[in-house]
Amino acid sequence: MKLLITVIIYALFITYLLGAVLFFIGNKSGKKQALLTASLLVKIGLVLNIAALIVRTMIAGRLPLANSGEFTLWFTVVTVALYLYYEAKAKMREAGGAVMLISALLVGSILVLMKGQLGEATPLMPALKSPWLTIHVLTAAVAYACFALAAGLAIMQLAKAETKITDGTVHRIVAGGFVMLSLTIVFGAVWAEQAWGSYWSWDPKETWALITWIIYALYLHLHRRLGWKGKTASKMVIAGFVLVLFTFFGVNYLLSGLHSYA
Amino acid sequence: MEILKKVYRYLSSMKTGLVLLVLVGAAAALGSAFLPDVFFNTWLFKLLLIILSVNMVLCTANRFILFKSRLIKNSNRWLREIGSMLLHAGIVFILAGLLVHAFYGQNAQIAIRTGDTVDVSQIITMKEPFSLHLDDFKVEFNEDGSPSQFNSYVTVLENGVTKDDAVISVNHPLNYRGVKFYQQSYGYLIKAKYTNDTGSEVEELIKEGNFINPEGTGRTVKVFRYIPNFDPNHGMATKTLRPDNPRIIFSVYENEQLLGVGAAQFDERVKIDENVYVVFAGVEPYTILKAKSDPGLPLALFGGGMFVIGVTIALLAAPSQGKKIEGSFN
Repeated sequence: MKLLITVIIYALFITYLLGAVLFFIGNKSGKKQALLTASLLVKIGLVLNIAALIVRTMIAGRLPLANSGEFTLWFTVVTVALYLYYEAKAKMREAGGAVMLISALLVGSILVLMKGQLGEATPLMPALKSPWLTIHVLTAAVAYACFALAAGLAIMQLAKAETKITDGTVHRIVAGGFVMLSLTIVFGAVWAEQAWGSYWSWDPKETWALITWIIYALYLHLHRRLGWKGKTASKMVIAGFVLVLFTFFGVNYLLSGLHSYA
Repeated sequence: MEILKKVYRYLSSMKTGLVLLVLVGAAAALGSAFLPDVFFNTWLFKLLLIILSVNMVLCTANRFILFKSRLIKNSNRWLREIGSMLLHAGIVFILAGLLVHAFYGQNAQIAIRTGDTVDVSQIITMKEPFSLHLDDFKVEFNEDGSPSQFNSYVTVLENGVTKDDAVISVNHPLNYRGVKFYQQSYGYLIKAKYTNDTGSEVEELIKEGNFINPEGTGRTVKVFRYIPNFDPNHGMATKTLRPDNPRIIFSVYENEQLLGVGAAQFDERVKIDENVYVVFAGVEPYTILKAKSDPGLPLALFGGGMFVIGVTIALLAAPSQGKKIEGSFN
């Protein structure tokens, strides 16, 4: 089982990375075959990602919602699923390279930073034994995934002089992510009140989730009410995602607090 | 009057609100990196949050007043408008709840030894006083020796009369008359048997890190730490919390000079000096509960609910604006 999950994670990393490369080549050269193969790789990756979650569930003997390796698998599975939905709906493969590169790097971070987390059976610590765990972690995964997809689109908006990706689409995805992040924070606060006796303790994870929430709140206000669009808006969406990554990695590895689980 | 109007307009504007949000975000980032325990309690930071609340109250009030006229102009946007007002008002309620907590909230740590009773009204101000008696404290373990739950079995007493029995564990606080009790931590007192300086055989409960002075020697013993699962490879840290190989780490001093360090088993006769022995007979657990009274909690919870419903309606349920541009695979 331990070997199996290692093999799956490596295969997943290679699949996502190869998909990203083919998307970049296909979009640059306009070769349709490359793009079609890339899309196929994304689908294979999604299946592998789901397989990784299933195998991890079997190893852990519980739903994989606790440590950062487990969370990363949810993060990428939702990102890729959302991307496929977007691709089918918008009938565009422009953003595939950026989104798949982000996903590949996330899976790569498991191999570099979270080695060994997924192979061992680790029981839940008492603080995590709550129905809120599932809700809190899954809403966070969906929020982060929306922001990853939005950032992928925004990167392509900035990188290309002409693009069919609209500010409206990016805005809608950010808005979805913002709702999920709001739910994550509120449900997390309700849970923290039960588990730690305080719904807000300025724990580093809480603080940085709030900072992330603030930057997207600014974006939504500026976009909706003051009509900020174009390059500035794209840059804000990318900056927001940098904050998401810091809230996830930076806080786990640089600042210690109540959220230190792995 | 002109100045007042200007101040009001400035305080109630959305732009000011956004600037305040940026300031809160920047301050929080700095605070989390440097001295988070001090920073978020400073008046400057709290003042920033209060000004933000005032701005949001005014901003939301303005929108409520404008709501009717906007409704006529933009008939398809009414749902979004309601969602937006709900979410902003929700945040104001949350901030108000925090403010009430800052002024009227009470937090305390209570350590109770098995069999002891603590008068909670001595710690948290309340109208109808009650006491908490700890019947037992138990740690449950997983197969690998890691803790799976910490349980405090308590009895609530009013004027000596039993009112309630409860188990307080992590994620399962006890709520009694508005005071909430959380399982926060625990510890052990070490049972030491020795002959004390008055010549009588005693059994004492010693706090980790404290000293004992047995009779018949100038040496003192520091009862350093209880290690539930001792393993030399883990040094002074326990291998797991499960008491698979319990030891008491102690050190012996003479004239403030360290003579040696040892790891004693329970009931082992530990020689301190010629004819002087100490026996560590076991440990007695105590629980550490967090006691909290927060009159602002219902306000914050109400605000949280309002915020969640508002943000969902405003951003998801409302009709989207703008034209959709689609690409094509050809």
